[in-house]
Amino acid sequence: MSVSVEQLLQQNSARLWRARETGSSAAAAVPAGLPTGYAALDRCLPGAGWPRQGLIEILSDQRGIGELRLLLPALAALCRDEGAADDVYPPPHDLGSGGWIAWVSPPYRPYAPSLAAWGIDVGRMLVVNGAGATEWAMDQALRSESCSAVLGWANPRDPHALRRLQLAAEASRSLAVLYRPLQAGLTPSPAVLRLALLGGGTEGLQVRIVKSRGGRPATVNLGH
Amino acid sequence: MAPLARSPSPHRVRVTPAFRPSSLAVPGRTPLAQSRPSELWLAIHLPSLLLDSLRDVALALPGRPPVAIVDLERNGKVVRACEEAAHAAGVREGMSINAALALVPGLHALARDARRERQLLEAVAQRGVRFTPRVSIEQPDGVLLEVRGSLRLFGGARQLCLRLQQELTAATGATVRFAITPTPLASLWFARTGLLGARPVFVRNRDELAARLALLPLDCTRWPARSIETLGTMGVRTVGDCLRLPRAGFARRFGHELLATLDRATGRVQEPRAAYAARERFAARRDLEPEIADTARLGLALAPLLEELCQFLRERGRGVQAIEVQLRHRDAPLTRARLRFVQPVGAQPRHMAELLSERLAPLVLPQPVRNVRLLSGPLIDLQADATELFAHDRRESGENLPQLVERLRARLGNGAVHALACVPEHRPEAAWRAVEPTATKPRARQQASSRSAAPNASSPAVPLPWRGERSAARPGEGRPLWLLDRPEPCDVDRLVLEEGPECIESGWWDGHDVARDYYIARNAQGARLWVFRKRRETTAGARWFLHGWFA
Repeated sequence: MSVSVEQLLQQNSARLWRARETGSSAAAAVPAGLPTGYAALDRCLPGAGWPRQGLIEILSDQRGIGELRLLLPALAALCRDEGAADDVYPPPHDLGSGGWIAWVSPPYRPYAPSLAAWGIDVGRMLVVNGAGATEWAMDQALRSESCSAVLGWANPRDPHALRRLQLAAEASRSLAVLYRPLQAGLTPSPAVLRLALLGGGTEGLQVRIVKSRGGRPATVNLGH
Repeated sequence: MAPLARSPSPHRVRVTPAFRPSSLAVPGRTPLAQSRPSELWLAIHLPSLLLDSLRDVALALPGRPPVAIVDLERNGKVVRACEEAAHAAGVREGMSINAALALVPGLHALARDARRERQLLEAVAQRGVRFTPRVSIEQPDGVLLEVRGSLRLFGGARQLCLRLQQELTAATGATVRFAITPTPLASLWFARTGLLGARPVFVRNRDELAARLALLPLDCTRWPARSIETLGTMGVRTVGDCLRLPRAGFARRFGHELLATLDRATGRVQEPRAAYAARERFAARRDLEPEIADTARLGLALAPLLEELCQFLRERGRGVQAIEVQLRHRDAPLTRARLRFVQPVGAQPRHMAELLSERLAPLVLPQPVRNVRLLSGPLIDLQADATELFAHDRRESGENLPQLVERLRARLGNGAVHALACVPEHRPEAAWRAVEPTATKPRARQQASSRSAAPNASSPAVPLPWRGERSAARPGEGRPLWLLDRPEPCDVDRLVLEEGPECIESGWWDGHDVARDYYIARNAQGARLWVFRKRRETTAGARWFLHGWFA
C-alpha cells in the first residue's frame, strides 16, 4: 500500500500547517489574539495579537529596554475588561477577564505606582517568589484558572518542563509568558510564539519574531 | 386577683380565664403544654465537682492523705468539700481549715481551682454532644441535655442514662447524678436532691411535674438562704408547699425572681437555654512501623489520619483553617509542619493531602520518623456557597485564587506570595506595599485601589516634589517598572543622563529620610535606568546608585 505525500497532506489538511498558507485560509484557522497595543507588532502576528493559548517566550538579556512595556498594554486591557463582562452574559471575551496577573520570580520588584500609571489594577497582581520552582508555580497558576495572565522568569533546562508548561498554557485560557535569556533561542522550544528583544542604540527596541505558529519570522522596530 | 406571671410568648399562648390564677401549681393540661413541642431535659449534676476536678492532683499526693478543698474567704481558708474519710471524722463544709485540721490531723488542703472545674464541666458537656445536639452548661456544677429525640435511638431513658453514665465515668471519672423531666430547672432540682437514690428520676409528662416536684426540699432550688429561712419559719419546707401559696403574695414577699423560677420549673414559662458549642480540636497519632525516612512516603502514612480528620469535620459540619503535623524521631527534637488555609476547609481529604505533600516535600528529616501526629486548629463554621444555575466564569470572582495561594505557600513559604498596593508616598521605596491577596469582588477592589492611589488620600501637608521641568500628572509617571530592593552603586560615566534632576527629599519624620536627585539615564545598550545621587554630599565625592529600570 503506497500513499503519496500529497494524499497524506490532503487527509490531514486541517491539522497540518503549511508555510505557504499564511494567507486567508490559515488566518481563519488561527484564533484572534489579544491586541498587543503596538500596531506594527500586531500586523506581524498571525492572530493580530498575543496568542491566547499556548506559551509565549520572550528572549532578552538586557534589562530596561522595554521588555515589560511590550506586554503592558495587553495587561491593562485584561484589567479593564472585567467591568463590561459583569453585566453581559455570556462574557464577551473568551480570554479571562477580571482575573489576576501572576508574576512568578520577577528579577526585580514590579513597581506598583508605575504599573498603576499604565492603567493596571495593582491590587490584582500576584507576586510569587518562585525560588527554584518557577516552572511549577507557573504551572499551578495556569491550571488554577484564576489568573488572566501568568508571567514567569526562568530558564528551564529540562525540555520536559518546557513541554509541560506549554501544555498547561495550551489548556488554560490565561496569557502565558516566559522570559528567558537570549541564549535559549538557540535550542528548540514548543512555545507558540518566541520573540527576541534587542535594545538597539538609536532605533529603540527591536522585536525579532523567532518562531510563530501560523506566522512568519519578522523583525519589528517599536522605537523608544 | 390577676395572674402575675406573664406568659412567655403572648402571640402563641393565650391565658384563658379558666386558668387558675390563685394557685402557683398548674394542674391538669394547660393551654401552654399543648401549644409547645414537648421537650425532655436530662440534667447531669456533679455533686462532688470540687473534689473530682482535683482528683488527679489528690491521687498524686504521697501517702494518699484525706483531701479537703479549701477556698479563701473573709476569715481565712474555709473547707468547701472533703473526702469521705474526713467527712466521717466530722469535717463539714464551711468549717475553717484549722478546725478541720484539729479533727483530722493528716488532712491535706488543696486550693479550689475554678479553671479545672470549668474544664471538667466542659468535658462532661462534650460527652453529652454525642447523645444530643442540644447541650447547655449550667454553672457551676450542672449540664443539661435535651433528649426527647434521642430516647428512641438509645433504647429508652434507662438505657440512655446507663450509656451516659458509662461514658462519663470512663472519660472524666466524675460522680454524676441524673434526672429527666420536661423542664430544665426541674431536672436540675431533681438531680441535685438525688431523692430516689441511684435510679434517676424520670418524669415524662408535664402534667405530673407539679405533683412530683412537690416533694422536693427547698434547698435544691438554691434560692437565697434568707428566703429559704423565712419560708421555713412559715412552715414552707418543700416546693409543694411553695406552689400552694398565693402568687401575688409570694411575689410581694420574695420577689418576682423566685416566682419566675417556680414558673420555669413547672413549665408554665418556657426557659430558653444557651447552647453549648464544643471548643474541640482534632488530634490523632499514628505509630509508624517500620520508621519512615523519606518525605514522599510520609504522605501515604498521613492519609488515614487525614481521612479521620475529615470524618471528624464531616460529623460536625465544620471546617478548619490550620492543621499541624508533628513528626517524632528517636532522639532528635520533633519536626513540625504547619499548614494554614486561606479559607476554612471542610472535609476535603484530597485537597489537604495535596497541600501537605507540597509542604512536606522540602522538609529535611534529621532522623527517620517514628510516629506522626495530626492536630487541627480551632473548628470554624463553614459558609455554604450557593452554586449558580448557569455556568459562570470562575475567574470573575477570583474563586480559585485562595486555593492557588494556599498551594503556592505550602511549597514556597508564607512570605513568597503577595499582592501589591500603592501608597501615597514620595520616597520610591515606600510608595508601594505588599498586601495579602484577597479575592474580593473585582469592581469594589478597583474602586478601593484607585482611591488609595489618589495622591492626597492620606499624606497631609507633604508638598508634591519638584520634578524638573515636567509636572507630574500622575504619581506613577516618570517612575520605572522595575525597582531594586536596595539601590546598587553604579558607574555614571558610562551613562547618558537624559532627564532630571528630580529631587526627592522626604521621610525625616520616621528616621528613613532620603535626599536624592534622580535622573533618567541611558546606557550603551539602549536601556533606560533610574539613577540617583545623594544630595548633601560634595559633588566631587558623590556616589551614584541604580534604583530601577524602565523596562
